[in-house]
Amino acid sequence: MSHQLPAILFLLPLFAAISMPVVCLKHRHWSQPISVATLAAMVPVSILNLHNVIHHGEVRYVFSGWTAPLGIEWVADGLASVILVLVSTVSLLGVVFTGPTSPKDLGGRIVHYYTLILLLVSSMIGIVFAGDLFNLFVFLEVAAISSYALIGVAGGRALFAAFRYLILGTLGASLYLLGVSYLYAVTGTLNMTDMVDKIPFLLSSKALLGGLLFIFIGLGIKMALVPFHSWLPEAYTYAPDSISPILASLVTKVALLAWIRITYWVFNASIVINDIPILLLVEVVGALAAVIGASLALAQRDIKMMFAYGGISHIGIILIGIGQGNQTGFAGGVFYLLNDSVMQAGLFFLAGVAFYQYGVRTIDDLGRVGKQAPWLTGSLIVMALGMIGLPPTGGFFGKWYIILGALEADNYVSVAAVLLSTLLTLAYFVKLFECIFRQTSTRLDVQSGEIPLSFKLTLGVTSAAIIILGLFSAPIVQLLLNHALPPSL
Amino acid sequence: MVDAFFAVFQRPNFLTFVIIFLWGFYIMVTRYNLVKKLIGMYLVQTSVIFFLVSISAKKGATVPVLLSTTEPVQAASYANPLPHVLTLTAIVVGVATLGVGLALCAAIYRKYGSLDEQEILEKLE
Repeated sequence: MSHQLPAILFLLPLFAAISMPVVCLKHRHWSQPISVATLAAMVPVSILNLHNVIHHGEVRYVFSGWTAPLGIEWVADGLASVILVLVSTVSLLGVVFTGPTSPKDLGGRIVHYYTLILLLVSSMIGIVFAGDLFNLFVFLEVAAISSYALIGVAGGRALFAAFRYLILGTLGASLYLLGVSYLYAVTGTLNMTDMVDKIPFLLSSKALLGGLLFIFIGLGIKMALVPFHSWLPEAYTYAPDSISPILASLVTKVALLAWIRITYWVFNASIVINDIPILLLVEVVGALAAVIGASLALAQRDIKMMFAYGGISHIGIILIGIGQGNQTGFAGGVFYLLNDSVMQAGLFFLAGVAFYQYGVRTIDDLGRVGKQAPWLTGSLIVMALGMIGLPPTGGFFGKWYIILGALEADNYVSVAAVLLSTLLTLAYFVKLFECIFRQTSTRLDVQSGEIPLSFKLTLGVTSAAIIILGLFSAPIVQLLLNHALPPSL
Repeated sequence: MVDAFFAVFQRPNFLTFVIIFLWGFYIMVTRYNLVKKLIGMYLVQTSVIFFLVSISAKKGATVPVLLSTTEPVQAASYANPLPHVLTLTAIVVGVATLGVGLALCAAIYRKYGSLDEQEILEKLE
């Protein structure tokens, strides 16, 4: 039974997504309970899967009896299982959050929304588990198509942002596919484990380098790495409030995870192809993303736009950690990925509550609501602590391990980039709090009534999770060091 | 330099791939009409599919069904089925993306009454 867990995890949301339009044709209000039940069932299954992987080693799931190099296989190792717990928990929170906002926010297209969310979740499980480069491409595209449709689901200004995302995202997917076909042409295999043995003999091959670069650029577009980030802020800002938390916290991170898997598991990351050390490239790009993203965030007045740019800068920080090429940096990077995912979800929940409850979109208006909204301000303070990286939040320990890794690798540029980006993050949150606590600002007369329970729940859980990840950072990082490291480190 | 030039013309399929890819990319970047952008996007996707097919082509090979079960298998006489299957999947993915893109275009046209990027941006301001 336990070796079937990866397939069960994938099939739960997929079957729910497929049956949703049929079941909810007549009873539209059933769609939320069904999605919540499906995702709530996924959380224990994913934790069970993590437990299983930790105690019995990685699971290689073989489809329909065709074993590895010939057939398609899924690899449930430590890293994938940890990320899956994150994916299922955050998407459950996202769907719980949607309850009260959805009818107004989504223009009545509730069934479409829940179907697409479940499809998105199942395709992200596929990306996390995929042990085959082409399988990864297919799931990336399913996730991308669901996201385009989700962003545009309510119409309005989001349509144009979704169209731009579609154009750029498809270009990224085509480049990824091109890279995969280069690698296939050189190695003659698509299976990641099989490819590992063939790469050491091909290090002088230009096609290998070309393939890796195309894959890097393609996934870079998907994860909104800095030169290719232009689609993200508009898409996440104008997307309906119930959708941006799940998109911002999971979709880019899962693309980043796919990239980590290809660099560390397929290519032994410390190798040098044609005199180009790939990790150096990653550090430089990561440092640029961390600093540029945070400085762009400083210039925004729309809160969702500000948080979206903050997410771009945090992708850079994760890449800095991953790119150090030592155990501390890698574990720190993955730990920061978990934190960042929770923080992004929390921040966009907050933006959603601010708009739905108080009609607030810009930081000036947020200042006017100010102290009348204790839930909003309280959770904003916790999330700001996490984003800036102050103890005892998880953000602090993530950055701490990343900096330790960079010092271990004698890489002072990376340390400087992390610190500079922290300062810039501090600057834009100071700007936000200055608006909230300025005494002179005129109060906005809000007739808001009681905050719905699901808003309190999601804000409370994400704020608590930020603190808990910080308090339990040592065992989590130890778990990552023991079970989630790539074989080459 | 001259060698490199001739080497390129030794492989007309790669040259074709590069031309189609860059042509599609050029259309995506320079045209303001959203449907034309989608056409450029589709050209880019098709060029990658073309590349995948062209690297798997084999002279004198037949369909990958064993001609005889008694003799040892001659790999050279069968085409590799994998790239063709990948191509099929990539085409399906491309069609799905194009469908979503056209649906978005239709919705944008209904909302803004135009498909021209600049006109839409003016209306957004």
